[in-house]
Amino acid sequence: MNLKNDDLTKSIKTVGDVFVKDARIKARNVNVFYAEKKAIDEVTIDIGNKEVISFIGPSGCGKSTFLRCFNRMNDTIDICRVEGRITLDEENIYDKNVDVVPLRARIGMVFQKPNPFPKSIFDNVAYGPRIHGLADNKSHLDNIVEMSLKRAGLWNEVSDRLISPGTGLSGGQQQRLCIARAIAVSPEVILMDEPCSALDPIATAKIEELIHELGNDYSIVIVTHSMQQAARVSKRTAYFHLGKLIEVGKTKDIFTRPQHNQTEAYISGKIG
Amino acid sequence: MEHKHIDSSFDNDLNKINNNLLKLGTLGLDQFEKCINNFGTQNLKEIDKVIAFDEKLDELDDKIQKSGFEIIALRSPRAIDLRRVIVALKISTILERIGDYSRNISNRTKVLIELNYTDLPGVNIGKMGQKTQQMFEDVLESYTNEDDKLAIKVRNSDFKIDKMHTEYYLEIISSMQRNKKLAPIGTHLLFIAKNIERVADYVTDIAEQIYFLVNGKMLSDHRPKADETSLKIPE
Repeated sequence: MNLKNDDLTKSIKTVGDVFVKDARIKARNVNVFYAEKKAIDEVTIDIGNKEVISFIGPSGCGKSTFLRCFNRMNDTIDICRVEGRITLDEENIYDKNVDVVPLRARIGMVFQKPNPFPKSIFDNVAYGPRIHGLADNKSHLDNIVEMSLKRAGLWNEVSDRLISPGTGLSGGQQQRLCIARAIAVSPEVILMDEPCSALDPIATAKIEELIHELGNDYSIVIVTHSMQQAARVSKRTAYFHLGKLIEVGKTKDIFTRPQHNQTEAYISGKIG
Repeated sequence: MEHKHIDSSFDNDLNKINNNLLKLGTLGLDQFEKCINNFGTQNLKEIDKVIAFDEKLDELDDKIQKSGFEIIALRSPRAIDLRRVIVALKISTILERIGDYSRNISNRTKVLIELNYTDLPGVNIGKMGQKTQQMFEDVLESYTNEDDKLAIKVRNSDFKIDKMHTEYYLEIISSMQRNKKLAPIGTHLLFIAKNIERVADYVTDIAEQIYFLVNGKMLSDHRPKADETSLKIPE
């Protein structure tokens, strides 16, 4: 097989089509530095409308760092510097006039470890709509909370105990609560950073089912170390290595006949 | 660039299925070569050996199917590893079927010996068998070296076997029309010729699997076919 095997120490061209027709997020020539260390190197990629895309790659490859650029989570790290251009619906999210609070409502995030607030189940979900002023009245807020919990597949399990603490739920339920919290503010994109790595197989299956359903309405970017998960949930997969975007393609192509040797070696368990 | 798996036991599993497949290929070729030779030499003892040995091929195929199934279930192979396992399972099934044809040719040869057969004019089953045998040898070499160019060459040579089969088919029918007493011999010869033609088809299938293994995609063009026996009305 004629695989492309560029020297990774040199600037490389990503294999596969990084562009999509209906992009919501466009990242162009993005570089990320932690102090002097370059963590992301000239990455260009589109995130399509209502697409589920997985970022995969070995630990330290920069996939989470790159994900966190999309809602400016890296702003919280003093030594982190982002170069290049990232737009959401053609609007530069790194423009000095952009307020990160509404930005993070439009681009929600679910983390590796479920992190419900030390509040009731209801208040966890109601928190975002309250601070963003999305509910006209109590009844409207109740409706948003109910719909969000239903969409997150949690309503039937918690509808009779909404005033109980969110931290009292199981790990899988807490993660779905965090997803309900993210979708309560009507985001356009949901970022998921290894959302199932702390969950058992049943809870993982529920989250994956949820990702399938949410993919009908939102753009979802998921960072995962589980290649089976990437294969199961995403239509497109991007492989990162040493801060570079090596290959992007349809998930079914990446997992059956990747074009780059590095991708081939990683997905078949030969480097990690 | 050749990588080994981080978990070397995965390499061991893949090597094991690969080695068993090569063993099955070698045994299958040996069986076919012997059945063609035995057709010429009429050595009953050797013919019985081929017939009895076929179950060893069946057993080895079972072993390959089981280990391939286990690799898929336990290792979740991807990319070239996935192709390697899937192709091994397919080729193993094909080799087992070729073994069945070698046994069938041997059974029919025994009957022909009882019927005191001689080659019919214009019909050289041995030659057709040897050409098919060469294809078989080449396809095993192609698999061993993952040589997709040789695989394509094998695939293209099936055309000659098809052509030979059509010629022999017409000759045998014609002989039987001329001398009806030849009907029992002719019928078995027809089946033997058809079996060899099918072995060449199976060898061609193996060649296509090798191409897929190496390139990750199937050959898209239609291969030339020349077996017209199902279309011809003997004069």
